[in-house]
This record gives sequence, structure tokens and C-alpha cells, in this order.
Amino acid sequence: MSRPSPNELVPHAAPSRRDVLRSAAAGFGMVALAGLLGLQARGTSAAAGPVTTLAPRPPHALARAKRIIFLFMEGAMSAVDTFEYKPALQAWNGRPSPGGGKLVGSKFSFRQHGQTGSWVSELYPHVARHVDDLCFIRGLHTDTPAHPQAVIQLHTGARNASLTRPSLGSWLLYGLGSENEDLPGYVAINPAPNFGGAINYGNAFLPASFQGTRITDTGELPNLRAALPRDLQRSQLDLVQRFNRSFQASPVAPREIDGVIASAELAFRMQDTVPDLLDVSREPQSVLDAYGVKPGKEGSFARQCLMARRMSEAGVRFVEIRQPGWDHHNNLHKGLIENAAATDQPTAALLADLKQRGLLDDTLVLFGSEFGRLPTAQGEDGRDHNITGYPMWMAGGGVKRGFSYGGTDELGIHAVEGRMHTTDLHATLLALMGLDHERLTYNYAGRDFRLTDVAGNVIRELFA
Amino acid sequence: MLTPLLPTRLLLPLLLLSLAMLAPEMTQGEEAVDPAKLEFFERRIRPLLAGKCFNCHSAANKAAGGLRVDDRNGLLEGGKRGAAVVPGEPSTSLILKAVRHEAGAPRMPPEGGLETEEIADLERWITEGAVWPAVELSEGQGGWNADYEALRREHWAFRPVSPAATPTVSDVAWPRDDVDRFVLAALESQGIAPVADADRAALLRRLTADLTGLLPTPEQADAFVGDGAPGALESVVDALLASPAFGERWGRHWLDIARFGESTGSARNLPYPHAWRYRDWVIDAVNADLSYDRFLVEQIAGDLLPAADPAARERQLIATGFLAIGVKDVNQRFKVRFVMDNVDEQIDTMSRGILGLTVSCARCHDHKFDPVPATDYYALAGILTSTEQCAGVRNKMGGAGLDYYDASMLVVLAPVDEGTAAKIAIAKAEVEAAKAAFEQIRGKPEGLAKGENGRPIQQGYRQRWNRAQQEFERLSDPARTGKVAMGLRDAEKIGDTEIRVRGEAEQLGPVVPRGFPSAVEVPGAEPIDPAASGRLQLARWLAHSHNPLTARVYVNRVWQRLFGTGLVDTVDNFGVTGNAPSHPELLDRLAADFVADGWSTKRLVRRLVLSRTYGLSASSQERALAIDPANRLLWRHSPRRLDAEEIRDTMLAIAGRLDRSRPAEGPSRQLEVRELRNNGREIASILSFAKASAHRSVYLPLLRTVVPGALEAFDFADQGQVTGQRESTTVPAQALYLLNDPFVAKQSLVVAETLLDRPTGDDRERIASAFRLVLGRLPTSPEIDDVLAFLAAFEAQAPATPAPVAEAPVETVVTAPSAPDPNLDPDQVEQDSEKVVEELARPRDARSAAFAAFVQAMLASAEFRYLP
Repeated sequence: MSRPSPNELVPHAAPSRRDVLRSAAAGFGMVALAGLLGLQARGTSAAAGPVTTLAPRPPHALARAKRIIFLFMEGAMSAVDTFEYKPALQAWNGRPSPGGGKLVGSKFSFRQHGQTGSWVSELYPHVARHVDDLCFIRGLHTDTPAHPQAVIQLHTGARNASLTRPSLGSWLLYGLGSENEDLPGYVAINPAPNFGGAINYGNAFLPASFQGTRITDTGELPNLRAALPRDLQRSQLDLVQRFNRSFQASPVAPREIDGVIASAELAFRMQDTVPDLLDVSREPQSVLDAYGVKPGKEGSFARQCLMARRMSEAGVRFVEIRQPGWDHHNNLHKGLIENAAATDQPTAALLADLKQRGLLDDTLVLFGSEFGRLPTAQGEDGRDHNITGYPMWMAGGGVKRGFSYGGTDELGIHAVEGRMHTTDLHATLLALMGLDHERLTYNYAGRDFRLTDVAGNVIRELFA
Repeated sequence: MLTPLLPTRLLLPLLLLSLAMLAPEMTQGEEAVDPAKLEFFERRIRPLLAGKCFNCHSAANKAAGGLRVDDRNGLLEGGKRGAAVVPGEPSTSLILKAVRHEAGAPRMPPEGGLETEEIADLERWITEGAVWPAVELSEGQGGWNADYEALRREHWAFRPVSPAATPTVSDVAWPRDDVDRFVLAALESQGIAPVADADRAALLRRLTADLTGLLPTPEQADAFVGDGAPGALESVVDALLASPAFGERWGRHWLDIARFGESTGSARNLPYPHAWRYRDWVIDAVNADLSYDRFLVEQIAGDLLPAADPAARERQLIATGFLAIGVKDVNQRFKVRFVMDNVDEQIDTMSRGILGLTVSCARCHDHKFDPVPATDYYALAGILTSTEQCAGVRNKMGGAGLDYYDASMLVVLAPVDEGTAAKIAIAKAEVEAAKAAFEQIRGKPEGLAKGENGRPIQQGYRQRWNRAQQEFERLSDPARTGKVAMGLRDAEKIGDTEIRVRGEAEQLGPVVPRGFPSAVEVPGAEPIDPAASGRLQLARWLAHSHNPLTARVYVNRVWQRLFGTGLVDTVDNFGVTGNAPSHPELLDRLAADFVADGWSTKRLVRRLVLSRTYGLSASSQERALAIDPANRLLWRHSPRRLDAEEIRDTMLAIAGRLDRSRPAEGPSRQLEVRELRNNGREIASILSFAKASAHRSVYLPLLRTVVPGALEAFDFADQGQVTGQRESTTVPAQALYLLNDPFVAKQSLVVAETLLDRPTGDDRERIASAFRLVLGRLPTSPEIDDVLAFLAAFEAQAPATPAPVAEAPVETVVTAPSAPDPNLDPDQVEQDSEKVVEELARPRDARSAAFAAFVQAMLASAEFRYLP
């Protein structure tokens, strides 16, 4: 009976969890402002050895992408009305479905786009112009047809929602660190206030430095606004640092003081750097128009897309943005029109913008929901949940362009080809970032944990 | 048949998939099942159920009406209408009535009926006993084996506690207690000498913080430093132990272990409005120095113990909140999974918290490292499935409003008074009357006739019935009209439970007799009472003086609270993957003495803090640092950072604002059991309350995922699981909190203005007082000069009438509209903003602003939050 390995973060040195934390000089582990980016802890004692926290770390293998932007369509977007063209469904409109219920074809017309001739419905005319850059994964499936559990599983891999597990972004920060010292490494903009809430961007048992930072869709986060005029606060902080250095000189000073001094300076700088970055009004009007940025609720997703680009460009490892309201048990027709209108132009603008800046090569864009919807009718104008077959799409970051992997049956009910469980999606995302999901482990309470637990297949067919 | 209408390419894959998705479900007792019947099931019945019923009644979709047909137990237990299948009794099997469209049964499937042949198949299957293929135990659930046996014999933590003789030391003058002799012997073996003793001021600061979570006032420091009398240290320690603040700090330590939280957390966050009673019980028990064995027994089986008097009975019931307050996924669709997930959560809390063992790994397979087979897990699970966890909630899929609330799942402490009982009787009579009146008129011409409002007259009758029903429910809810707590009680159905294949709740393997983990041998433990849940025997087994883990794990926890690192530094893991103790003989000696001394926490703490080792200075020393950089040998006292509660409480105390009383009310007690959004109206009001509160932090509302910012910035405990040791991270959010949060500004300003309002003294004296108050020491002369220069420059630069020291903080957005439409799916409601309000600090003039900035700079310094 062998003992499990210590935290295996090959190929770099493997400091123990507590050592990492003791001399951590970085991270942003707070309710709304967490997952901040790291700096090197200097002058640590021999006990901890040279320890880094969020300093960039080399991946296990070739990193096809350096950062991820996840466009989360919360509530479960109907695929057969958007990106899944199912002629059989149209033909069998009104007939009984094999699993029960009555089949209902889409009321939206589809046509082919681009060189690849991919079918997209009229709901997504702007995104349709980018189909040749998209990599569709059409055979996804998951375990629980209820939003709260499925949202938690999508974000943390936990099949049992009563187990709190680290989120995908936290695992990425743990594995890779971040690329920018003055910014959060992991940002969740406008995250769901329910369905697990903070669990979905939480670090669980990983160090607090790997927690996601929650930012509103207007770019707010608490305690970031300086309480004093800047020059006064600078002189106050100078006094703090003089206190710190004289304490450091005493024989009883703990070794963490270096980290305290450095992280206070980082915090001070962040008061400028973070708001600047989140201030989309600094963009030229042409860019604002391209995304469709406007104030208020209507412009929420456009603002989020633009903030996501600005943060990715600045080196934020993982940004998640969110469009809620896809849970169309009723009001399917109007609801789809509204939600597609809110997301189509900004999503397309984000793709174009990333491409134009050369960022799409190493930024992976992921678009989709926690599960899908059935092709059958629910009530007058609705569709019920479907966990047995649904799509997402990716773009950029080392995935094939104009590619489609897997698929559901003719009606869009079950994934029948290229089936990919949520866990396979996670394993693949980590692989695209250069991390081996079986080696990215964290020892906690006597056991090595993984994002993918005991499962997960990397779908290499997607790789460019 | 409907299927021929479908594209032919579709049919086969669908069918295969349906079969593939279905793992075999369960056995029917031990007798062999006729293979022909099984084949009939696979050929005729499973495809029928999959094709016609799974869309609404299966794990992959939903359990409409509470019914699942993809699982034999699901059919046997049935949904809201009762059993769907009674094996051997087709005439009473509801599923047959439903597919035959008989009166009084739901018409199933809703779209069209089954073929006559299909109905006949179903009837034959039920008549023949409703056979379902048996499941096989996976290879990973093989039970006790030779490797396990070897581990039980060899792993140090499973061996009986065996205190060694006190070692001899060269420096016989140094030790004060045997604790010191064990420590010194290890140091001498490495050629290290301990550093000097801490000075009295530092020792008092350390003691006061460790024992009460507060810092000494300048007056207390003066008194202690000036008191050279023998026994002065003992007197101070005894006073600290006797202070209610001791229970507030050490009770909080236990609440970390107990993963205390005032809501369900998980997928839908619902409040636990009665969790505070358990919190207060813990604090009171620690203050009363309830012996640790009794402390455990009351928490696990207080309801099953005899009680000396009604007050003791009430306390014992409240104590059982320990296992009820965990994370729960109320949105779990299937009750069996809800139950088994909750059982798992309780096993994890008990086993890691009390035994330092991760038993929950064995839910799905035999433990890979520790000698814990799955059979042991289900032996414990049987005790908990025979127990009801009363948390006031039930599971339901996609519920809204009060759907998840279950008043019957609460522990009633005091029955309703006579007046209320009479009101309940009247309300009940009104329900009956209103119901009868409605039934009388319903569907009749006079009921269907339009009333004045243009609606059928019977609607008014229906509304009267609804109102009466609501009033009856309101009155008969013990949480409203009586006194309730969260806790445990034995279930009506007592019995052993089945091993679950691969941990899946529905996959029943053989039944395992209730019992205790085999790895832990406890000579003299009582066997499980077959007529009860067995919790009482479990509690006594855990708290048994011969249990090799319980006392070791606990004294190690106490040691870690006082010395920073446990003798076993993996405090929650004494298993094979945990680390070995740095001082095994000392650990065993402490464990044995602790048990012999009546499991008294206070006497254990007293002994440790009076040791010479505890009183060492935190000074580093080059040679020792080179040999033992982590200070595992204890050649000095390791400095530590104040924890989240200490930082907040101390700031309030320094400002003279700390309210040391226990709050009589709290906003989390007023909540209805409805889903909370982490930035909805209720949460905004709770966070606002937390910001305004001046009570000790242990009393702040602590709903899961909505921890007050002042605590979360400084590594507050994970409320989802046992936290034996909190982290101590250094992150920029801490500096931003200390520099910008209005709470910190407010306390700084109060201190500053109090100093400025002193009628006598100059600024040098004011600065000196501030140093003593915040940092517990006098400033050096250069420090005073430095601060004077800072104040002058700040005052000159600051505007004459300073703005509030912080802009209005925005703790963000989104909450439900004030009057939610009851017909709206709550998950589809997007929300509008709701702000967390907070009082801002407003300095009266530039001088006050400058002094406040100086005080705040001290609060933001490392010296304030690190304790040598």
C-alpha cells in the first residue's frame, strides 16, 4: 500500500500547501475581490524554501492556450433553435417523440454560413459570420437535469453538489499562476447569485489566492476605491511601511513581513490599475459600437464582453461572463429572440476583436450552457431540460477552426457520436492550457483531489 | 406503436442508449432469480419503461410526482400517490391502473396509451414478482483484508495510547512541567537550546489572545508587568479561563470543526434560523468546561440521554445540532440521494473532526490508504439512516418559496402553550368547514355562476379554504409558536442499511450490520442497541477512554491552537497519509493525562500555557533556525497572525466599542426558510447588520457563502467542512480592507477623537497612548518624531472640512423585486440592485482626520496583526 504523492504539480517544485500559504505574498482572497495575482515571496526562511504562489508556472505540456474566456449562457440555451440544425425535427414536427412528449420544430430559420457551410439559425447572424473560426462540440452530456447542480458541476466538476470543490478557474490558477502581477488572475463578472453562488468561482480547499474575483457588470468591486485622496493615502501607506520595516528588524518578527509589505504595495497600485482596466469607456467609440455597449441592463453582456477582452489582453488567466435567462420552460420564442439579441453582436465583436489583436491564437473562447433543452414541447411555448445531448462551441486557443466534433441523434435528444461528459470537457480545457488533468492534483485531508476526480478523457481531435 | 413513425436510423441507437444508461438496479433478497424472468424483463419491460416513462420518471430527467421507474425501489416506494408496483399483486399496483386509465388513477403515459400487449407484459411482470437484475459489488468493496489488518496493528494512531516515562534532561533547571521535559529532551538530542523566556508584556499579550481572542488593555498590561508576586501568572491564566471570552474563542475553535453555518449552502442556499442555539450551546459548554467526552456524547446522542431536569434536557437536544447544521443540497430530486448525501456529510464531520480519519472515502470503495472498508462506512451509515436529521428542510426539485421548509423536521424544545393550542384547534375546524363548503359548491351551477367580480363564485370558497389552511399551517408551525432547535432524533424505522454499490444511493448491495470502524479497537465498548438507532453507543464508543484516536486528536488540536502547529501537523488526518507526530511520547502522555484528569479542556489549556515551553520568546536564533527551520522541536514560540475574529474584535475593543454581551437577537433568526441569493435583499440586510454590529465576531450572522467581509478577508474557516486549521494567507485584499474599509476607518476615528478629546497632555503623549492601545508598547522617540511629522504634513494637506473617510461602499447589485410574481419561475427572475449600507467615518476637522489616518496606519501594520 503506497502513500499518495505530495501535491504533484510537475514539473515544478512541489511546496506543501501550508508552505505555500505561509509565505504567500500574493493572491486576493476575499469575498468579492479574490484570486489576485501574485508576486514572488522574497526572503522566505529555509523552512519554506523558495516558494511562489501565483507567479507564472510552466505547464505540464505544450500550452495551446494561455487564457480562457467563458461565455456562460445560464439557464440552458435551446440548441435546436440556435446552433443545431435538425431537418428531421422539422419534418417530424408535431409527432410523438420516442422518449415521450411531442416534437416541435424550431420556429427560426437556419441557413449555412462560411466556407464550412455550418448551419446557424437567424437568431445569431453576427456569430454566424465567424463560423469558420468556431469549433463545435455537439455531443456533450451531463449528470443532473437541474440548474443548481448542473451549474455547480460545470464550474467545479462536483457531481454531488453538497461537496464543495474548487472551481475550474481556481485549478487553472493553481496549476499555472497568472501572467500579470497587478491584476486578479481569475475573474467572474456578474456571476450567478444562486445555483451555488460563490461556490462556482470559489477555491474550496485550494489556497485563497486562487479564488475567483467577483466583479459586477459595471466593473465594481469593494474596497478598491481609495478612502483618502491619493497623495494622503500614499503618505499613510508610507507610514505603514515604516512601521512594518521597523517591526521586521525586531528579532521576533515573523517571516511573512516581506509578503505583507509587498502585498500592500500591490493593493495600492491595484486601486488604479483595476478600475482603469474595467473602465470600458476608455475604448474608442468604434469599439464600443462594435460590441453594442450601452448603459443599463440592456448593455450588460456587451460590457462584460469588452471587459473580458481588456482583462484577457492584460493577462488575466480565466474570465467568465454570464448571460442569464435561458431557462425557457415557457416564453421560448420571445425569450430566445431577446437573449440572442443581447448576446449575438457582443459575442461576435469579441471574436473579431480578439482576432484583430492577435489574441485569438492563444485565448480560448468557450460559449455554452450547463445543459441543453429537449426538442419536444413543454406547454404552449417552451422546452424542458435535456442533459443527454447538447452543444457548446469554442474558438481560438489551439482548437481547430471551422470544425465540428460529435453530435446528437437526428432529433437532438441524445449525444450519439463524439460523446463528451462535463468531465471530458474539463480534461480537454486543462489540456488546451497545457495541464494534465491527472497530474494536476492537490492533497487535502489525506487524499489527492483532481478537477476531474477519477474520470475525464482529453478529446485531442479538437486540437489544431 | 409510435416508433415506426420515426426515422428508422434513430430507433436503434436510442434503444441501445436507453439500455446502456441503465445500470442493473437491485436484488430481490437472497433467493436466486429465474433467468427466464430476467430475460423477459430485459426484452419486454425495461425497453417499455425506458421508451414510455423515463422522460418524466427517471434519474436522467426528473421524478414527476415523486415517482421514478428506472429503479425497482423507486417503483416499490412510489411517489406521492404511493407504491406504483406491489410485486405479485397486479390488482393493487398503481402503475397498471394508470396505464389502463382506470378511474382515480392518473392517465399514463399522458400522450396516448400503451398497446394492449404492453399492458399485458407489465401485468405479467408484476404478477411474477417484478424481478429486476441484481447488482454485483464492485471489486473495490471487498471488505476487511490482510493489508488492513497489518495497518491496524502497525499504524501508530490505531495503537493504544501508551504514555512513556518522562525523559531525563541535562538542563534540569529549565523544565517546569513534564511537557517541558519531553520538549527539552528532543531539543537536547539535536543540540539545540531553547531561547530565552518571553518578556511579561509579550507573554500577557499571547495569553490573552490565545485564551480569549482579545488583547490586554494597557491597564491590564501594567498590572501584570508590575506584579512580580509568585502566582501572578497563574492568577492571570485562571482569570482568563474563567472569562466568558474564553468560551467565545474556544467555542469558535469547535465551530470550525463543526463546520458551523446558518444556511444550507450548496445548490440552493436556505437559512437555518435556529442554528444559533447550537452555537450558543457550544460556547456555554466550553465556558462550563463540560468534559470533552460528555461534550461529544451530548452532541451525537444528547436526545437519547436521560436528563437531570428540563433545562438539561433542552440543552442536550440543542447539542445534537452538531450533525444537523451541515451543507445540504435541498434541490436534490431524489430523497434517497438526499438522505445518503446527508449521511455522508455527517460521517465526514464526525470521523475527521473527532477521529482524524477520512472514513467518507469508503462511501464508494474500500479506503485506498486507511483500513476502512466500505462495510465499515455502511455500518456507520445504518446508525445515521436510523436517525432523522432535523434541519427544518426537505428535498425537492425546482421548488420555490417555502417549498423546502419542513416544520416537522425540527426538534421541538417547548410545546405550544394552551392559548395557542386552542387557536390551532379553531383554525383546524375552520379548515374543515371551509373545505366542506367548497366541496359542497364546487362544479355545481351555483358555484360556476359568475359573482360580482366576474369570476366563478366557487373561487371565493376556494380562497377561503386556502386562507384557512395557511392560517392553520402558520399556527401549527412550532418555529413560530413554540421553541425549536436543529438536531437529531431516532427515526421511526430503525435498522441496518445496505452497502451501496460504488456509493450510488439506489444501488443496493448486501445489508451491513450497524457498527463502528474496525480499524479503531475500543475494548469494552457497548454493542449497538438493535432497538434504537445506535447513536448512543456510537457516541460512547467515540468518547470512550480506550478509543485510541479521540483523546489524541483532541489534545493535538488544543496543542495546535496554543503553539501554532500540532504535534501531528495534519490535525484532521491521523490516518496513514497523515504525518507522524513530532513528539509521539508527549502526545500520548498528554492524551493519557487528559483522560485521567476528566477530559477537562480548561485544565489541559492551563497546563500547557503554564509550561516553560509556551512562555518562550519568539526570538529567532541562527543555529536553531538552521537545524530546525520550521520550529517543530519548539526551541522558540512561533509567531502567528491574529485570526479574522481577533482582528475585528480587537479593532472594536481598541475603539472602546466592543459589546461583550451575547446578542439577544440576530437577523438570521428572523429569516423565513426561502432560497437566498447571495446579494438579494435579505443578504444585503444581513451584511449591513454585520457591518454595524459591535458584538464579538462569533455572534455575527454566518450564512454559508455570505461571510461578512471583515472575516472573509482574513482566512475565515471553510463552512462546508471540518477546518482543523485555518490558513494564514497574505493577500492584497487584506491591505485594501485595512486601508479602505469604512469599518476600519470608523474605529480609527473613534480612537483618534478620544485621544484628541483628552483635556491634558500633548501630542507626544497622545501618540504614546495610541501605540500602547494598538500595539501594546510605547513608541521610541524617533517613532514619535516620525508620527509628528506625518501628522503635520497630513493636516496641512488635508482639506479643512474632510470628506467622509470613504465613499459610499457598493456591495453589489441584484436582488428580487419587492413583490415577486408567484407564477414566475424564481430561477428566471433577474434582479435589481440592493445595497449594503454602512456608516461612514466623518472626521470633524483636518487634525482629527490626520490622527485617524495615523491610528489606521497602525491597524494596517504587520505589528498589529502578528503576535510574537
